[in-house]
Amino acid sequence: MQSIIRTIRDGSGFDILLLGFALVYLVTFSAFPIIYNIVMSLQTVDMFTIASFSRPFVGLQNYYNILSQPIASLVFWNTVKFVVLSIVFQLSIGFGLALFFNQDFPGATYLRGLFLAGWIMPALVVGAIWKWLLAGDFGVINHILMSLGITEGRIFWLSDPDIALYAVIIANVWLGIPFNMILLSVGLASIPRDVYEAAELDGAGPFERFRSITLPLMRAQLGAVISLGIIFTLQQFDLIAALTQGGPADSSNVAQYWSWQLSFQTYEISLGSAVSVMMILFVIVVAAIYVRSTRHEHSY
Amino acid sequence: MKRIASWIAGAAALFSAATAQAEPVTLEIWTIDRPDQYIYLVKDEFEKEHPDIKLNLKTVQFRDMVNDLARAMATGEGPDVTYIDNPEVALFASRGLLLDLTPMIEESKIIKKEDIFPGPLASVTWDDKIYGIPRGANTIALYYNADMFKAKGLDPDKPPRTWDELYDAAKKLTDPAKNVYGLAFSAVATEEGTFQFLPWLQMTGGDYNKVDTDGGVKVLEFWGKLIDEKLASPDTLIRSQYDSTATFNAGNAAMAISGPWEMPRMAREAKFEYRAALLPIPQEGAARASALGEGDNVILANSKHPKEAFVLIEWLYSKMPEVWNRFGFLPASKVKVDNPQWPEIYAVFEESMKYARNRGPHPEWPKISKAVYTAIQSSLTHRSEPKAALGAAQKQIDGVLGR
Repeated sequence: MQSIIRTIRDGSGFDILLLGFALVYLVTFSAFPIIYNIVMSLQTVDMFTIASFSRPFVGLQNYYNILSQPIASLVFWNTVKFVVLSIVFQLSIGFGLALFFNQDFPGATYLRGLFLAGWIMPALVVGAIWKWLLAGDFGVINHILMSLGITEGRIFWLSDPDIALYAVIIANVWLGIPFNMILLSVGLASIPRDVYEAAELDGAGPFERFRSITLPLMRAQLGAVISLGIIFTLQQFDLIAALTQGGPADSSNVAQYWSWQLSFQTYEISLGSAVSVMMILFVIVVAAIYVRSTRHEHSY
Repeated sequence: MKRIASWIAGAAALFSAATAQAEPVTLEIWTIDRPDQYIYLVKDEFEKEHPDIKLNLKTVQFRDMVNDLARAMATGEGPDVTYIDNPEVALFASRGLLLDLTPMIEESKIIKKEDIFPGPLASVTWDDKIYGIPRGANTIALYYNADMFKAKGLDPDKPPRTWDELYDAAKKLTDPAKNVYGLAFSAVATEEGTFQFLPWLQMTGGDYNKVDTDGGVKVLEFWGKLIDEKLASPDTLIRSQYDSTATFNAGNAAMAISGPWEMPRMAREAKFEYRAALLPIPQEGAARASALGEGDNVILANSKHPKEAFVLIEWLYSKMPEVWNRFGFLPASKVKVDNPQWPEIYAVFEESMKYARNRGPHPEWPKISKAVYTAIQSSLTHRSEPKAALGAAQKQIDGVLGR
């Protein structure tokens, strides 16, 4: 008994105890739901059998059903556009702002702090605000565009099937910029000033300094921001729910929203699970790249 | 010794009587009402009349109700009494999750099966048994702005009766310079879109199980024409009925298709003379149809207090003559409504109820509904021709119906 207490207090028992807590947490809140989800994607599940395990096993039939649905390819390409465009613009605008606020000018840090306001707002609230801005008949953006003479008629941002997806992307880019900016600002601040000064003495111009100092030294941060951005974008649900609900005619439907629709609108939970399992596989690949890119982080 | 035993028995009897009085039965109630609606308004009244029954109310969002109920039932933590929307009763009843009320209704002095209108009755009936009692009913009609009719030279006493007349009126009333659309309705990709579409389809002879008809094509072409010519806002595709009617109340649409639930807000917000008319028909002499909405009060099969729950349901049913004035529902049974508010509009909805048809019933209604609103959306956005869209919907519906 004594020895058990001693090993827990200051021996290897303490390490095992800590590891145990972490493992129990991971198994309960990560591994179990994921495995449960995979199991459901191989069974026929509806609302009423969700709490029991004994359900008809159908193998890969659900995956076949999903991929043979007429909207599957539409949703796939929408998801690709949603993720790629969101990431490209979030990252480039976020990086630009981070570089800007990294300059020394009065109030830089306060202004940078203000950008966080967008990030701390719930996506549902952001969605409600953007819905108001983008409204077709009485939207603020249409009013501005028309009074500046940029557009002739109203643009039906949320109900025109050729535009709706881009409207959601615009809102999502806005939502993601602060996160990108803050994370990249931290990276920029950690680059020693004297490196730049030395380069300047050697005659490197601003562009040269950015290309050969900032970018290489920011590699880990950029990798992290891109991977996390992809994961956050694939999780983006509230914004779509608030703005278009995937419509009109599924023109702004993306995989994560489709999965929810299948599970909770038509109660084909096994089909919804199949979609989410395919998304998990993709996210695992992204996460692996992220882990690789941060593996050498502590080396400098 | 004997005396002690009798004391104890007496004390026990007293004690149990005391606890019985001190602890009335508490019924767990789920509802979609906000605190200024339906059951919240009558809670105190009921508890005063039935001191032995307490009500514990919980509001669930309309769109979450089926999910939350199914989850609660799977884990055995459901309420005693809950609201269920009309088309979802079959979903739960077919799985044996609702209490069969047929024997209780047969003995009831308050609820008489014959008094309930056929549409609402069909919506709570599954396999010849009755699983719920309608809290009221609703249907849709054409609201119109009489002031705008006059301003555009239309006779407000002769609202559009056919689709052609509706189109002509919408065309005359549309005024882009003043931000006025001719008509507001909802073709949103939810149950509401299906709800608004089905009566149009039914007027041409189709129904939820037969959508790929020439009539169905005609409806979608008509709706498409309204939106393409901007007689109705393109946002019709993403606006709920309530949001669409808000544009009517604000004077940005001259006509609106919606239900009686709009009345309290319209009376508050609309600064013009509003009237209502029956839904226009395809041509003179065509059959009428209208949607049937509103929800039902049901008792869950595993409720521990079915008797008390039925007392509550009976009592709520007895309020049927007051539902129009107090809650904005139409009565779902033959009752006399004294001094209805907005009497002309009430008369229109009362007449419209005669043509109101139930959706389904079918235990997999959400899938049927989704097939219908998907067809509406893909046709109105010109992603596919009306005929092809309805053909695709029919294929899915046939799959659900097992044909």
